[in-house]
Amino acid sequence: MAADDSIVLKLEEVHKQYENADRDPVPVLKGISLTVRRGDSVAIVGPSGSGKSTLLNILGSLDSPTRGSIQLDGEELAYLSEPELATIRNQKIGFIFQSHHLLPQCSVLENILVPTLAATGRAPADAAERARQLLERVGLGHRLTHRPAQLSGGECQRVAVVRALINRPSLILADEPTGALDHSTAESLGDLLVELNRDDQVTLIVVTHSAELAAKMGATRQLLDGQFASNAI
Amino acid sequence: MSTWSLVLKSFRFYARSHVGTLLGVAVGTMVLVGALLVGESVRGSLRDMAEARLGRVELALPSNDRLFRAELASQLRDELGTGTAALLQLPGVAKRPSGETRANNIVVMGVNEAFWKLALEQPEFAEIPEDSIVLNERLAKQLGVKKGNRVNLRVHNPSQLSRDAPMAPIEDSTASLAQLEVLAIVSDAEFGRFSLQASQVPPYNAFVSLGQLQEAIEKPAMANLMLVGQAQSPAKSPTTDQAQTALARHWQLADAQAQLLQLPDGKGIELRSPRVFLDPPLARAALEVSTEATEVLTYFVNKIQLGDKSTPYSMASALTDFEPGTIWLNQWTADDLQAKVGDEVELSYYTVGTMRQLEERTAKFTVGGIIAMDDPRADRTLMPEFPGMTDSANCADWDTGFPMDLDAIRDKDEDYWDTYKGTPKAYISLATGKEIWSNRFGNLTAVRYPQNGRAALDKLGQALLGKLSPTDTGLTFQAARAQASISVDNAMDFGQLFMSFSFFLIAAAVMLISLLFQFTMEKRTRETGTLLAVGIPARRVRRMLLLEGGLIALAGCIVGAVGGSLFARAMLNALSTNWKDAVASATLTYHSTGTAWATGASMGFLVALGTICWALRKLKKQTARELLAGESQEIPGTTKSAKRTTIIAVVLFLGALASVGAAIASGSQMSPNSFYTAGALLLLSGLAFTSARLTGLARVGALGQADGLSLSGLGQRNAARRRRRSMATVGMLACGSFMIASIGVFQKDANIDADNPGSGTGGFELMGEASIAVVHDMNDAAKRGDFYNLDEEIIKGVSFVPFRLRDGDQANCLNLNLAQEPRLLGVRPEMLAGKFSFTSTLKDLETGDNPWSILETARQALNLPDDIVPVIADQSVMMWALSGGDPMKSKKLGDTLDYIDEHGNAFKVKFVGQLADSILQGNLIIPESDFIKRFPSESGYRLFLIDGPEAKTKEISDELNNAMEDHGFEWVRTTQRLGELNAVQNTYLKTFQVLGGLGLLLGSLGLGVVVMRNVQERKSELALLRAIGFGKNSIKRFVLIEYISLLIGGLLIGTIAAGLAVLPAMLSPTADVPYALLGLTLGGVLLLAGMWTWLATNLSLRGNLLEGFRGD
Repeated sequence: MAADDSIVLKLEEVHKQYENADRDPVPVLKGISLTVRRGDSVAIVGPSGSGKSTLLNILGSLDSPTRGSIQLDGEELAYLSEPELATIRNQKIGFIFQSHHLLPQCSVLENILVPTLAATGRAPADAAERARQLLERVGLGHRLTHRPAQLSGGECQRVAVVRALINRPSLILADEPTGALDHSTAESLGDLLVELNRDDQVTLIVVTHSAELAAKMGATRQLLDGQFASNAI
Repeated sequence: MSTWSLVLKSFRFYARSHVGTLLGVAVGTMVLVGALLVGESVRGSLRDMAEARLGRVELALPSNDRLFRAELASQLRDELGTGTAALLQLPGVAKRPSGETRANNIVVMGVNEAFWKLALEQPEFAEIPEDSIVLNERLAKQLGVKKGNRVNLRVHNPSQLSRDAPMAPIEDSTASLAQLEVLAIVSDAEFGRFSLQASQVPPYNAFVSLGQLQEAIEKPAMANLMLVGQAQSPAKSPTTDQAQTALARHWQLADAQAQLLQLPDGKGIELRSPRVFLDPPLARAALEVSTEATEVLTYFVNKIQLGDKSTPYSMASALTDFEPGTIWLNQWTADDLQAKVGDEVELSYYTVGTMRQLEERTAKFTVGGIIAMDDPRADRTLMPEFPGMTDSANCADWDTGFPMDLDAIRDKDEDYWDTYKGTPKAYISLATGKEIWSNRFGNLTAVRYPQNGRAALDKLGQALLGKLSPTDTGLTFQAARAQASISVDNAMDFGQLFMSFSFFLIAAAVMLISLLFQFTMEKRTRETGTLLAVGIPARRVRRMLLLEGGLIALAGCIVGAVGGSLFARAMLNALSTNWKDAVASATLTYHSTGTAWATGASMGFLVALGTICWALRKLKKQTARELLAGESQEIPGTTKSAKRTTIIAVVLFLGALASVGAAIASGSQMSPNSFYTAGALLLLSGLAFTSARLTGLARVGALGQADGLSLSGLGQRNAARRRRRSMATVGMLACGSFMIASIGVFQKDANIDADNPGSGTGGFELMGEASIAVVHDMNDAAKRGDFYNLDEEIIKGVSFVPFRLRDGDQANCLNLNLAQEPRLLGVRPEMLAGKFSFTSTLKDLETGDNPWSILETARQALNLPDDIVPVIADQSVMMWALSGGDPMKSKKLGDTLDYIDEHGNAFKVKFVGQLADSILQGNLIIPESDFIKRFPSESGYRLFLIDGPEAKTKEISDELNNAMEDHGFEWVRTTQRLGELNAVQNTYLKTFQVLGGLGLLLGSLGLGVVVMRNVQERKSELALLRAIGFGKNSIKRFVLIEYISLLIGGLLIGTIAAGLAVLPAMLSPTADVPYALLGLTLGGVLLLAGMWTWLATNLSLRGNLLEGFRGD
C-alpha cells in the first residue's frame, strides 16, 4: 500500500519509562497512538505530570520512546542515528519552548539564523533575507540587531517562533509557548501560531495548559496519566 | 553568520565568566613557560661560562707531566692556519707575601701573547712581563689583592721521572716564584675563567710569563698544554684528526720524552729518556726499528755484598751479554769485595712500592767473571741520567729522594765516583734484570744501536718517530669546544626539574581550569540544549564549545607566557639567594629563547585544551532534553557502587597494614619503601572511604538518615550531592598534603650520625685535597716527621686514607654540567674496610667483610679483560651526574664508561658497586693498582680522608695546613662536605615544598570556587531554609560546616598517610624533619582554604536570599 503523503506524523503504541538506579522504572507514556496530517493544528492538554512534555520531546526526537513507533513524513525515527535525528530536527521540525531559549550573545537576526548553521557551519546566502521577511511578518522588522536582553518576553517568544520557521519545517512543536507570557501577549502569540498554520500550512502541535490557546487549535487531545483520554475535544 | 562567528560572539559575551578559567590557564602556562625559561637560563648561563672559559679555543692538547716543546705550537699554527698557544699549566698555591691570605688549588699558567689572542676579549696587555702576575677575579678576591700588589706562588714541578719512583729527587718537587706584581685582574671574557674542565664555579687562575715559569721549573722551552683556536669561520676549524696529523708531522723525539745520543768513542747510538725508564710504547718502537738494537737496564742498587764485605750505593746493569744467575763485577768492585769467579754475591735494591714505600729486596748471583776497568763494557754511559745524582760532584750530595746511609759511603766510593762516575759495578743478565727491576714506568733504561754518526742518528730518529704515534706518549688532542657543548647540552635539565617541582602548581591550575570551565558550561546548558534541539549536530556543538575553550586557552597562554618570564626571574632570583645551594652558587643570568616560550605556551595550551575537552565530555552523555531542562546534576552513585568503593577502601587499608606488618616482620630494619607503599595505600584507602561515604550520604532516604537528621548531617549530605566536585577538592588537598608532608622528611642533616663509619662521612673527620701531590706515607710517623715536619704530638693517633687523583669533571650535584670524564680516584680497598655504606654490588661478587674488596676481586670473579677496570661510584653519581639528570641515561651496575689512559689507550671502567650518598660523591673509585697502570705519571696522592680524635679536629687541620703549606691542602670537615652535597638535595626538596605548597594554596582556591558554585546552584534551597525560619548566620554555618569538613578531611587523610609513609625516616637519626615548615605549609593551606570557603560562602549568601526563592 502506498504511503499516505498527507500524514506528517504517526505514533503507534508509544511507551516511555524512566530507569532509576535504585528503584523500579517509572512509566510516563503508556501506549500513545496519534496521527497528524499536513496542515493540522493539534493541542495536547493535560495536568502536570501527565506526560505532555515527554510526548512532545519524543515527537521532536529529543527523546526516544522505550517502545513503539514514530514516523515523521513516513520515516521511522526509531531506526535513525543521533546525527540523522539532528538533521531531521533541523530540516523538518521547528521548536518553540516555554522559555524562548534565545542565545543571549546573538542578535535577533543571528538567533534566527542559528538553525541554518547545521548543514555547513555557515548560513546560506538567502537565509538572512528570509529571516528578515519573517521578522517583518511577526512585527519585529525593526529589532534585527537587538539582543534578547533588549526585547520583551513576547518579542523574544516571537523571535523563537521565527527561529522555528527559518528552515521551512513541516512540523512545529510548541511546548507551553505562552506559559511565560502575560495574557495579551499570549493571546497575540496564539494568533500568530494559528495564522502561520493557516497561511503556510505548517503542521502545528502545541502542548499547553492554556484552554484559550488549545481552543485556537484544530483539534485537542487530552493526556491523562500517560494515555490519551478518549473524549477528544 | 557562521559557526566561527557564533563562537567568537560567545567568547566575547561570556568573557567575564571565562576570566577564572583564563587565569587558571595563565597560571599553568606561567609555570610551564617559567620552568622552561629557568632551564634555558641555566643552560644559557652554562653556555656563557663555557664560552668564557674556552674563548676561541677549539682543541686542546693537555699532557700533564709529560712536557713537549713549546715550539710545536707555532709549527702547528703554520700548518693548521689557526691561532695556537703553548702553555705550562701547573697546580699551585698562591699567597700574599705577608702570608695573611692564601689560595690553595690554584692553576698557574705560563702563557705568552698567543694565549690571550684566543680569549673572547683581549686584555689591556699583550705579554706578561717577568716578575708580574695576572689573576682572575675569583683568585684576586680570595687573596684580597689588586693591581700593583705582590703575590707569591708555589707550583708543582713536573718531573719526567715519576715522583713515585724512589730515585726521584724530592728537593725540586715544587718551584716558587716570589714577589710577583699584580699586572692586571682579568675578567671572565679575558680568559679569567680559562679551564678545560666544565664547571660552573670558576677556577683560581694565575697567569705568569711562560718563559719565567719554564725557568722556574728548569724546563726551558717546554710546555704541557697546547691550545688550537677556531678558524675565522668556526665551521672550518681544525678537527682533532687534522691536528693529530699535523702533530705527527712536526713532533720530535723530545716531545716523546726521548733522546738519541751519539755515545763517545764510536760506541754507537743510544736512545734514552729523561723519564729514566723508557715508556713501554717507546721501548717497543725502539726495538722495532733495528734488529741490531740492544736493550739496557741500569738500576741503582743499595749494596753489593759478598760475605761480610759490601760495596754501597752502586749502579748495576742488566745486559743481554750475561747468563742468567751469574753476576759480573768490574775490577774495582771485585777488588773491593775480594770476589772471584764462583763466589756468591748478593744484590740489595729498592723496588718501587706504592706511596714511595721502599721495599728492599735482595737477589743472589754467582760471580761469572770480572770486567777490567778498561773493558768497553765498563761504560759510564750505561748509567741513565738520574736527576739529582748524575750532576753531583760527590756521592754525599746525591738527592735521590730516599734515605741514604751517608756513613756507609767510604772515601774510596767518593774516589770511584770522581774517577768512574756511574760506571756500573755489576752486570747481570737482561732477563733477570727485567724480572727483578721492571716497574710501572718501564723495564729498560736505554736501547743501543751499533751505528755511529749524525746521519745514522737522524735516520734512526725518523724511523723511531715513524713507529710511534703522539698518542702513544700521551699527546692526544681533545675536542675541547665540542666536549664543552656536550657538557652544556646534556647538563642537568632545570626546566624539567622545575616542571616536576611545580607539579602541584600545574595540577592545581588544571583542577581550576576544569572546575571553572565546567561551571561556565553548566550555566549554559539550556543554550547548548537549544543548539542541539534546532538540529545542530552534537559533534559540531561540542566543537564550537571546544573552539571557545581553545580561545580561552589561547588568551590564557598569552597571559601565562608573559607571566612565565616573571616566574622564571623569580625562580632565578631564588636560585641566586635562598636556593643557591641547588646550583652550587653558580651565577645565573636570565636567558630566554623562542623555544622555551613556544614549548611552554604550547604545553600550557594543550594541557588547558585537554582539560577543557575533558570537562566537555559530560556533554556527550546528556541529551538535548536534559540540557534544555537545565539539568547538570550528577547521577548519584548507587548503593552497589558505594559498597564496591567501601570494599576497595577496606582492601587498600588492609594492604597498608600488610605492608607495614611485612616490613616489621621481615627484620630489624624498617624498610622505607614498604612504609611509603603503606602510606600511599592508606591515602588511596582514605579517599575511597570518603568517596563511598559521600555516595552513601547522597542517597536520599538512606537508612537512618531521617531519624538522625541534624543541621551538620544535612551539610554533609549536601557536600555529597556533588560528589565528583567534592572528591576533586578532597583528592587535591589529600594528595598535595601527602606529597608535601612526606617529601619534607627526606631532608638530610650531615651532622647526625656522622661518627658512624657506615654514614656518608665514612666516620672520617676531615677530607683534604692537595694542589701538589704527597708522595710519602702519611701513616708512617717517621716519614711525616722527616718529610713534612708534622708535630707528632698533634698528629699522633690520626690515620690517613690516601687517594691518587686523576683530574676530570666533578661528577656530583655541585656540577651542573654533564660530567663526561669524571675524576678518578685510586685507592687500596683494604684501607676503606668498614667505611661508608653500599647500596648494592654487582651480583656474582662476594663482598665478604669488606665490600670495597670487590675492587680487587672483581677482575678475577668477572673474568674482566685487561682494558676493563672495576669501579665503585656514589649512587647519585651513577643516577644523575653521568646522565645529566636524565633517569633513562643513568648508569647501572655492570654498565661501563669510556676513558683514555695516559698512553692514549682506550679503556673502560665497569660499575661493580654503588655507594650510598657520601663525601666521595663526584669521583669514580678504582683500585690503586689499576690507577698506577693506567696513569703511571700521576705521582703521589692528592686526596686524603682523615680519622682522628674528634676533639682535636681543628688542631689537626691547622697543623696539616701549616706544616704542609707548600702542598696547598684544602681541608674541610667531612660533615661540612657532606652538608654541601646534601644541601643540593635538601634545596630541591625545599623548592618542591615551596612550589608544591603554592600549588596547594592555589588548589584551596578550588574549594572556594566549588563552594560558590554549589551555593549558587542551591540558592532556592537555601532560600527555602530562610523562608522556614532559619537565620542567615545559621545558614552560613550550615554551608561552612559541609566544606570545612571536606577541607579538614582532605588534609587529614593526606597528612596521616604521609606520617605512615615516612615513619622510618622520622625515626631515623639522620632525618632532619622540618616540622616547622611542614606545619606552616599545612596550616597555611588550612587557613587559606578556610578563608576562601568563608569568603565564598559570604559572597554567595549576601543579599536577600528570599529573592532567589521568589525567582524560582
